Amino acid sequence: MTAKAKNKEKRIGLFVCHCGVNIAGVVDVEKVAQVLKDYPGVTFSTDYVYMCSDPGQQMIIDTIKEKHLDGIIVAACSPTLHEKTFQEAARLAGLNPYQIEIANIREQDSWVHTDKEKATKKAVKIVKAHVAKARQNENLDPIKVDVTRRALVIGGGVSGLQAAMDIADHGYEVILVEKNPSIGGKMIQLSETFPTLDCSQCILTPKMVEVSRHPRIKLLTYHEVDSISGFIGNFKVRIKKKPRYVDETLCNLCNECEKVCPQVVPDEFNMGLSFRKAIYMPFPQAIPGTFTLDAEHCLGLNPVRCGKCKDVCEKKAIDYDMKETIVEEEVGAVVVATGYDLYTMQALGEYGGEKYEDVVNGLEFERILSASGPTGGTIRRPSDGKIPKSVVFVQCSGSRDTEKHNPYCSKICCMYTAKHAMMYRHRVPDGQATVFYIDVRTGGKSFDEFYMRTVEEDKVLYIRGKVSKIFKEGDKLIVWGVDTLTGKKVEVEADMVVLAMAMVKADGVQDLLKKLKIATDIHGFLAEAHPKLRPVESLNAGFYLAGCALGPKDIPETVAQASAAAAKVGDLFAQKELLHEPTVVPVNDELCSGCGICITMCPYSARSLDPARGVVVVNEILCEGCGACAAACPSGAAQQRNQTDNQIFSMLRAMLRE
Amino acid sequence: MRVHYYPGCTLKQKTTALDISTREAMKRLDIDLIEPEGWTCCGAEYPLTEEKIVGLAAPIRVLRQVREEGGDVLVTTCSFCFAVLKRADKAIKDDPLKRKRINAYLRDDIQIDPLTKERTTDFEDYNGEVKVLHLLEYLRDRVGYPKIRERIKRDLKGLAVAPYYGCRVLRPQKEMAVDEPDSPRLFEEFLEAVGCAAVDYPFKQECCGSYLSVSLPAAATEASYRILRSAGMNGAKAVAVTCPLCFYNMDHRQEAIKETFLDFSGLPVVFFTQILAWALGVDKSVLGLGEHLVPADGLFSETPATEVRT
Repeated sequence: MTAKAKNKEKRIGLFVCHCGVNIAGVVDVEKVAQVLKDYPGVTFSTDYVYMCSDPGQQMIIDTIKEKHLDGIIVAACSPTLHEKTFQEAARLAGLNPYQIEIANIREQDSWVHTDKEKATKKAVKIVKAHVAKARQNENLDPIKVDVTRRALVIGGGVSGLQAAMDIADHGYEVILVEKNPSIGGKMIQLSETFPTLDCSQCILTPKMVEVSRHPRIKLLTYHEVDSISGFIGNFKVRIKKKPRYVDETLCNLCNECEKVCPQVVPDEFNMGLSFRKAIYMPFPQAIPGTFTLDAEHCLGLNPVRCGKCKDVCEKKAIDYDMKETIVEEEVGAVVVATGYDLYTMQALGEYGGEKYEDVVNGLEFERILSASGPTGGTIRRPSDGKIPKSVVFVQCSGSRDTEKHNPYCSKICCMYTAKHAMMYRHRVPDGQATVFYIDVRTGGKSFDEFYMRTVEEDKVLYIRGKVSKIFKEGDKLIVWGVDTLTGKKVEVEADMVVLAMAMVKADGVQDLLKKLKIATDIHGFLAEAHPKLRPVESLNAGFYLAGCALGPKDIPETVAQASAAAAKVGDLFAQKELLHEPTVVPVNDELCSGCGICITMCPYSARSLDPARGVVVVNEILCEGCGACAAACPSGAAQQRNQTDNQIFSMLRAMLRE
Repeated sequence: MRVHYYPGCTLKQKTTALDISTREAMKRLDIDLIEPEGWTCCGAEYPLTEEKIVGLAAPIRVLRQVREEGGDVLVTTCSFCFAVLKRADKAIKDDPLKRKRINAYLRDDIQIDPLTKERTTDFEDYNGEVKVLHLLEYLRDRVGYPKIRERIKRDLKGLAVAPYYGCRVLRPQKEMAVDEPDSPRLFEEFLEAVGCAAVDYPFKQECCGSYLSVSLPAAATEASYRILRSAGMNGAKAVAVTCPLCFYNMDHRQEAIKETFLDFSGLPVVFFTQILAWALGVDKSVLGLGEHLVPADGLFSETPATEVRT
């Protein structure tokens, strides 16, 4: 950084933007330019209709060269919009980009006021403050950092698989971490997928195999990310390897252990509709192909108490003494694809909650439909195995309910309910399928055609209205609802009810997200850096987001998002070095007393105490320039570059002086 | 133990059984019931139907009187009174403007002597100092089931009773906050504590028809029929209620129900306090059983009075 001599007066240029009528409608922009013409330090002053347009930028470039300006004020919109544009213009004119000051006279003035005279006065004050600041701005250069060209993908569902594969195909190494014994996520549990009815396993298993065989993907299943330290381009990751108690390189899937295991537990893969043993393989196509011993349900990992599985294992793959270990990896970027959970049955007491076995959620019905499911694809109800002759499907179960449940739309339920009802009618041709809906939302390629087929060809009865209550009378479930098209109460007898349950944040990863400081929205889904323009990035630099962890979405959208996140990782890795904003807050060693107040203020863990010298040191790469430390520092040792205490006081003086 | 008790109008007129059985039961639990001096009607449903503030004056006046007498809890048995008192209290607690206005009404009313037109007594604003509890809640939270179990004199031998909450005790949940409205345990736990078996049936929170009894009796008949039928189908020997209006619709209307729905053969309806009093050893003659149109005597004699604990 080159410190300019303070006593040499700067030549500052002022450019006031009309922004059409956005600013000029309320602020007399010409007057602002006029008033500031003779303000100390201002060499040049003008106004223009759209400063951000090409001619506007060109005007700035030309004027810088012509008038030898070394400081620029653009009085326009918020710096979040066009600061970069004008910095680039300055660079083209040979001026250091950090000599650009944006005076916000739109969001903070013209948009919030109506009185033209007062608003103009305020604009003048805002500009004067920025002139005072600009006079003390220094030339700054971005901070450069190296990049580790390796990515971590958290989550082995379809989004994680797609992101891992794409990054690996870009030519970079990937570490894929999945907490369950197998990759595949929720998608592998689905039966058919809308709107084409192709079998979910048939389309996902090739991807799973490809990922597991990819030379640049390191697959860590039954592992959990414990913590991540460092910063974009340079993360250190600690990963917990959970003990599987089976050596996956030795296990030959002979199945003998499972046969002798005496412990029977509900099978998660089949949503508890069938049973597995304590030593198990989640499903036949599981990857990696190995058995896993579930310590929670095992009789005690003790050959004295049981040890049957160990006895029969010819390959000697079972080892009760395996311990949890930690794996450490270095990566440059992280893709978070941690998926979703379904809203719990207990939360829907009015629909029988967990009371009635024959009230199932959408994912349970997927297993009932699936050829690999507990009923081999024949639709049977859980309580007594009878084929249900009347099934009621309830859309928006727990969604779009601001009073009691989740206010948002879970997006995919309309389509999968149509699919469920269609599949049911195909397999039970004499059965009655009834769907309760609020709206049918079929925005997607070939979606509405699919829905119309369900109604017209498969004769599924759609009733517009919500269900108020589901209860049992004898052998039947009684569904109370309302038909809002006729305004009448309806009562439907059903053998089975399928709730299109709301999709909610994944509970198991909330602690991790907190540790990673990844922002979430009010519902606990991951928050994008910008909902429209940066949809797969986190505000936390170096973290990329994909899939249902961001919010409910279907498979095509999930895959597209995963590829987008991978492309963003590719962008990062394609750079020779990373540039970090230089407007950070360094420490003046001579003033710092080592009190550490700034360390507690820093939300980015960028500051730490150097015990040897008794002063605070700053990791400038981690510093995001928020200024919290500078405000808190009692001695003035923490000064933000181009936002020093002196500059702030000068701004206040300029603003308050009449 | 002393506690303020608000009987409400119906308990003094048509449905004295609920009042007297409550008093007898509380005596056996060594609880003195104090009626707030000069209590008036709570306003039944009206104070809650409109946004008009003046409707709240009656219930708030009662609550203020309890505070003036040094009470901090007011117990009710009637579901309607409970809902009105509790929601009126919450309405003024949550809304400073309502609170100010209602206190202005009460101040003039209480302070100004009607003859001399002069302000006479002191007045301190009522700011929601009194907690309104349903007797079931009071028994659960303040008395405790262990104490009730200790005092039980008659073994009800797991008499199958269907708890009927009706509409007013549980909802609106955010205001009543008594129990989970879809899978409540309050009434069930009470019945189990006094030695009954609580029958689970899906109609325990459905409406009995309420005031449709007046304007559209056929609707109330059908609504009550479905509740009684469901309770019976699930094995109940009686339905226990907390509300005089529910009692009216399900007991007094049973003749009409039988005439309309030929598959229905009758089911006694009792107040929860009658069961409590009986279990605590109160004599049958003071349970107010004469008010029942559907004879309920059988319930209170089938199970012989035996000393279970001394």
